[in-house]
Amino acid sequence: MGVTVHASSPAAVADELKNHRPWVRWGVVSAVLVALFFLVAQPLGWILYNSFHDDQTQALTVGNYLRLFTAKGLLQPLINSIVLAFSTALLSTLLGVPLAWFVARTNMPGRSWIRLLTLAAFVTPSFIGALGWILLAAPNAGWLNGLFRAATGSASPLMNIYSMGGAIFVCAIYTVPYTFTIVASALDEMAVELEDAATTLGAGVLRTMMSVTIPMVMPAVIVGFILSFIQGMTLFGVPAFLLTPSGTAVVTTKLAEFYQLFPPEIYMAAAYCMPLILLTGGLFWVRKKILGRKRFVMIGGKSRAGRKVDLKAWRWPALAFALIVPVTAVLLPYFALVVVSLSKAWGQGPSLDNLTLHWYQWAVLDNPATQSAIVNSLAYASVSATLCVLLGTLIAYIVERRLVSGTSFIASLTNFPIIIPGIVLSVGFFAAYTQPPLNLYGTAAILVAAFVATFLPIAFSNGEATLKGISPDLERVARILGASEARTFSSITVPLMRSGLVSGWLLVFIPVMRELSVAVFLITPKTNVMTTLIYNYKDGGNYEAVAAASVLLLVGTMAVVAIAQWVNVKLARHKRDRAEAEVVQ
Amino acid sequence: MSQIKISNLQKHFGAFQALKGIDLMVEEGTLLALLGPSGCGKSTTLQLLAGFETPSAGEIRVNDRLISSAQGVVPPEKRDISLVFQNYAVWPHKTVAENVAFGLQIRKTPRAVLEEKLGKALKTVHLDHLADRYPSELSGGQQQRVALARALIVEPSILLLDEPLSNLDAHLREEMRFEIRQVHDLLGLTTVYVTHDQGEALVTANQIAVMNGGSVQQLGTPREIFERPANAFVAAFIGSNNVIQGQLAREGALRFGRTELAGLQRGRGTVGDPFALCIRPSKVRVVAPGEASGNVLPGQVIRTAYLGEYCDVLVDVGHGVSVRAFTPPSLDFSVDQPVLLHLPTEDCQLLEPAQRVTS
Repeated sequence: MGVTVHASSPAAVADELKNHRPWVRWGVVSAVLVALFFLVAQPLGWILYNSFHDDQTQALTVGNYLRLFTAKGLLQPLINSIVLAFSTALLSTLLGVPLAWFVARTNMPGRSWIRLLTLAAFVTPSFIGALGWILLAAPNAGWLNGLFRAATGSASPLMNIYSMGGAIFVCAIYTVPYTFTIVASALDEMAVELEDAATTLGAGVLRTMMSVTIPMVMPAVIVGFILSFIQGMTLFGVPAFLLTPSGTAVVTTKLAEFYQLFPPEIYMAAAYCMPLILLTGGLFWVRKKILGRKRFVMIGGKSRAGRKVDLKAWRWPALAFALIVPVTAVLLPYFALVVVSLSKAWGQGPSLDNLTLHWYQWAVLDNPATQSAIVNSLAYASVSATLCVLLGTLIAYIVERRLVSGTSFIASLTNFPIIIPGIVLSVGFFAAYTQPPLNLYGTAAILVAAFVATFLPIAFSNGEATLKGISPDLERVARILGASEARTFSSITVPLMRSGLVSGWLLVFIPVMRELSVAVFLITPKTNVMTTLIYNYKDGGNYEAVAAASVLLLVGTMAVVAIAQWVNVKLARHKRDRAEAEVVQ
Repeated sequence: MSQIKISNLQKHFGAFQALKGIDLMVEEGTLLALLGPSGCGKSTTLQLLAGFETPSAGEIRVNDRLISSAQGVVPPEKRDISLVFQNYAVWPHKTVAENVAFGLQIRKTPRAVLEEKLGKALKTVHLDHLADRYPSELSGGQQQRVALARALIVEPSILLLDEPLSNLDAHLREEMRFEIRQVHDLLGLTTVYVTHDQGEALVTANQIAVMNGGSVQQLGTPREIFERPANAFVAAFIGSNNVIQGQLAREGALRFGRTELAGLQRGRGTVGDPFALCIRPSKVRVVAPGEASGNVLPGQVIRTAYLGEYCDVLVDVGHGVSVRAFTPPSLDFSVDQPVLLHLPTEDCQLLEPAQRVTS
């Protein structure tokens, strides 16, 4: 046996291959991890840390948690929150599920309009809806109550929106879109054959519904209920507008109270976030279990356009029921807001000589505070949406293409804010970035960072869904042709993701424009945005100005959405036209 | 032009061992087909060759340059290797010309050279009239040609083809086989071609590596593989040989139940070892009693199919073994009919059973 001669020694081998280590990949992954640390881990870590410290002495303590259960004023808001959330979810399910069935499965007239208007309720910020309802149903000045008194001569109002019932009602009509969308899409996707199978076996319409249709959509109903419950738990604007005036506190408004105390009880607020996080986290876990066990949305069939159940004479009562949400969540409050924004004094009611454009002129031209808030809202929302989509897409790419090991950890860290109510995130960012070494209080950066963190899960899951539709081979072929990982990402992956990126951008931009609770502890007069401005003006009682600002916010949001959609369609059409023109040649 | 040397290449995915240490040498200018059923490790080998995966052990060298080992890999873009994907992976947002030119743009080829090469490449694959089309307006075969032109325009030293014809319809597939062969002969590129279709492998390749269960069962020319399979797996996979499992009775004979079947001894073994007799269905004859002597098995017809040129008859010969025979279409058999099968000694090969090699 001779000596085996190797072409190169092991050391030389290692050196040769070391030259090809993916430095760019490691650099990007490290940057992403750093960003996630600052956006998610650090603020939440501070909440946890602060919750174990005393506000006066700064000493380590579990006293905050003890107070949570012993002090009477602290337990009651928690109970109120649960009552509000449960009732909201119940009402939203009772309204949303039949609505979904009417729209998806029956011949009720005006189905597509109902669908559209219900989605309009989706994009309306609920606190603006609450404002509309104050105008409509405040006990003394509310128009509906005024009408009622004029019609009946009664001295007492028809309804009082400043009550638990009022808050439940407003929360519910703005969470119906959740239950509606989830159940309607389950009904849309459900194969009609499954129902037909039962019918051919001799089951009647009612029997089929009881034994096939309802069990099939049950997971969707439960998930819708859970999402509505979480909404009811975490909404801040509606209870702040409708419950705080009557002295009823819920968890979110109580949290705001801690900050208004002097000195503010910031550490107590941190501890107070915990029940909220635990509850939302637990509910999301249940939701995941339900979605994981029964992949009900996946039950597909070929024939999507199923037969519609003929409601016969019940079509009209069904339509009346279906109109409840569009009328109460969109038409009435929008009408009230627009009319009030055009009134000299809303107490005088709608009439021609009361008409004025003064408040718009005031908001857009005369008042520097509203001017800067409009600019801030648009600027922060654009920047946040851009950064959020950028980061979310990068993370989705890293996770979806498994660029490094431990991607499931990165994914869960990215998704973590989904279980964090906006107001809690606000608490976390306040704790993390209003003290040295990172004092960002009063800057735009802290708001943008908080918005990015809040909506990162949306951008991430949108990016993931888009990437799942792009075969990795399209990227691999670029690599093999000599493109580096970074070049492949920029010249192949990103162009292929384009329309997904635009919709991701909108999915972040819209909620940032209407987000109130995340911003509430982080703004200063200089960095005020439209939502916080409306929130603060409402306290001043100037409803005409508040209504004008609300209408401007709605119109501004819709304008940007329209522009973005138009650009996207235009780009797609431009590409197609070019292709078609060349085919014709 | 390059020579590829794969030594003891292994790949684990968790507990699953996809490659169990394969050794292959692909000489310069060879077209090697990696042939095997799905899950045999052929695609994993290709991914490792392209540099998308890191081996668990072993190494790959091209012209003595180490490009893959467990310590790390040269990234795909630095390998000078082109790959044509099974699904073509033609970029839908780029025109045919933009797709094909991409590799040259990455290499910062001067405009004039690029235009010239692009024109030539498109002409080679007969796509010059479709240069400005988008892929969605092309047929499957045309997309295939785009992928091929895109891979070849960068003048790689090695070309990898991953089941390039499996998404085409049968007629086009037949045609493209010869086209690929032609391109290879024209350019003399070292090529590795992954396929599960033996017809494709036989037509296109100089060398075939039959793979199963993560290891190479046989490496040889198409003729060697077809005519002298190394073991029962290769025999069964290529030419759909009948495999009759038994024990080695003596040199040149298999004990099957109480019968002894004679054949050409190919595999090595001692008397009593599990052994297999392989024979192609076209060589099996149905005979009348007394018509043939030696290697005659009695059986019962399980099913029969008339295929025009011949009849495909499946016969149960006992001990849980069935034998396929292609018989002249003039003969007619009915189910359960007892028949005698003659297995001519010169067409019977005695091979080591597949299990012993694959495990």
